[in-house]
Amino acid sequence: MDWLFFAEVTLAGLGSGALLALTALAFVLIYKATRVINLAVGEILMLGGYLFFAFSAGFGLPVWAAIPLAIAGGGVVGAMVERALIRPMLGEAPISVFMVTVGLGSVLMGAVELVWNTDPRALPDFMGATPVFIGEAYVSRKIAIGFAVAGVVIALFLLLFRFWRGGVALRATASDQAAAYSCGINVPGVFSLAWIVACATAAGAGILVGAIGGISPTMGVFGLSALVVVIIGGLDSVLGALVGGLLIGLVEAWAGTFLGGEFKLVTTFSLLIAALMIRPYGLFGTVEIERL
Amino acid sequence: MTDLNRRHVLGLAAAGLASTVFSPLSAFADEKELVIGGSIPLTGVFAFAGVAIEAGISDFVKITNEAGGVAGRKLRLAYEDTAYKVDQSVAVFNKLTTQNDIHLYYGDSTGFAKTINEELNRRGSILMAGASFGSELNNPEKYPFQFMAGPDYVEMIAILLEYIAKQQKGAKIVFVNSDTEFGRDPIEASVKRAKEMGLEVVGQIVTPPTAVDVSTEILKLRRANPDFTIFHGYVLAPLPEFLSQAKQLGLKSRFMGTFWSMDNSLWANVGAPADGYMGVMPYRYYYDTAPDAPILEKIRKLRPTYQATGYMQGFLTAMLMTEAAKRTLDAGKDLTAKNLKAALNTIKDFDTGGIIGVPISIPGNSVPVGRIYSYSAADKQMKPASDWISLKK
Repeated sequence: MDWLFFAEVTLAGLGSGALLALTALAFVLIYKATRVINLAVGEILMLGGYLFFAFSAGFGLPVWAAIPLAIAGGGVVGAMVERALIRPMLGEAPISVFMVTVGLGSVLMGAVELVWNTDPRALPDFMGATPVFIGEAYVSRKIAIGFAVAGVVIALFLLLFRFWRGGVALRATASDQAAAYSCGINVPGVFSLAWIVACATAAGAGILVGAIGGISPTMGVFGLSALVVVIIGGLDSVLGALVGGLLIGLVEAWAGTFLGGEFKLVTTFSLLIAALMIRPYGLFGTVEIERL
Repeated sequence: MTDLNRRHVLGLAAAGLASTVFSPLSAFADEKELVIGGSIPLTGVFAFAGVAIEAGISDFVKITNEAGGVAGRKLRLAYEDTAYKVDQSVAVFNKLTTQNDIHLYYGDSTGFAKTINEELNRRGSILMAGASFGSELNNPEKYPFQFMAGPDYVEMIAILLEYIAKQQKGAKIVFVNSDTEFGRDPIEASVKRAKEMGLEVVGQIVTPPTAVDVSTEILKLRRANPDFTIFHGYVLAPLPEFLSQAKQLGLKSRFMGTFWSMDNSLWANVGAPADGYMGVMPYRYYYDTAPDAPILEKIRKLRPTYQATGYMQGFLTAMLMTEAAKRTLDAGKDLTAKNLKAALNTIKDFDTGGIIGVPISIPGNSVPVGRIYSYSAADKQMKPASDWISLKK
């Protein structure tokens, strides 16, 4: 057994898992507050990558300005979508809202194709090219940066949900909307906040994913991988997104290396089936008991 | 002021309906037309190529019609978007062939070519080519009414292997392919061929279809330490990340790809990591000013900005299928699939106007010719790295 190789593969898996966790966070934030599974997260991630491309390569802005602008752009899209499409759907069947997000994904993809055409593109390099070594183990620089960013962002959200008034309001809204209303919480405001923050997070993840794999109108499919993560981790758990992401990243890396690349997805979805059979609400998800 | 009452409105609606209903019949009635049908992916994962292909075919149609058409007939392209989905491609095929008298057809994928093959055989009236260079299609017995305007994927890699064998005897090779039908197509046959040519295959790496991060694959590549790495089954991603990380690690390997990953503008966006990336191209690039390429000059006048590789593929495909139709009509034969394919197979030492740098022949279903190009980041251009290589069967 080549332990150095194993360590490198493990680090690579944790790095790509962190990217999945960051994207999964966007699913969790919206679901936690509104009980909506937003299938357009992948397309908002894609839009984030394109907004960064527009600000940096198109308008020639420096990276330190292009990144926050792209993230803010994602937040603005989230606010518009919530106000124009999601809020009027409040009270409708969950499947109706779910289908709205499916349609939203198609609209966003079409809009990007219209504005930036269908060519795949590479983002301007802003992470440098010097390799990172932990001891003797090599880690891709971009993956190391992605891991650090995802770790910081997820830790921040865990703290916000625990200690910040807005985070507590979001948790209260998630557990009982009527009770939250009666306590004076601005529930529609919480919904808006969840969509804005989640879409901004997805846009930020889009910049990281785009920096590694390039951008194209179809890169939103990455969001589907993150959906697997949230189902395994628990749809309403930030910690679940982190653990699920790292778990999937590790399993995919080990399976891809020691079984072959063709076994990556098979292993991931086998894990999904096993998780659904053993813990249908995910590893850290809230178990909902319906009493008649 | 017009006095528009309900009777007028109903009359106008009836006239509109009649024109809609009878317009397909008028298309059938027009004997002076030769229609190229097309299931073309203008959206979806292959849209980058589809948009360019549509432009290439449209320009060929325009140039041909301005020169008087084909045997007295005007060419027309009738196409719809398929989003690169087989079921949608089949639906478009059924719709277009119902509404138009189609004898020439452009398909968008290997999946569609295989799915529609029985229908083509049953109809016996359509010659089809398309975006696929799938090696399975390069079988005139199983696919009697189809062809491809270039080498199939196995032939493309064979051209790369010939180049490698000349550059370095006994070179070590790693194949990297996407886990898709497109990606898997040539690998088994190419591994066998490489071994027969005295080349050493030191690894095979498979990436999932949606791969973004390739860190683990790079680790495998680093340990295999090949002289040449051959990619297949990709358009762009994740190749730039492979090249970027390989350079970070100081790997000596040279990286190569096949036709659909050889577009100049895509690599121009990648920048420095793209420097030295090589691959096989069956066609000349848009900017090639070779004196024996007059058609490229014409294309540049028609479209002053760079046209992607898919453009050349679409243009040449339309040229070859139209040539088959012209030869059939000139011989006074009906436009049946059998006659069209027989006419196509009479193409020998044919001058493509310089799109391909040597005269071509189509004895079967493919045109096994290509050239190695290498990307120069300084010039932002793919530059020829070899002469034209014609495979001998």
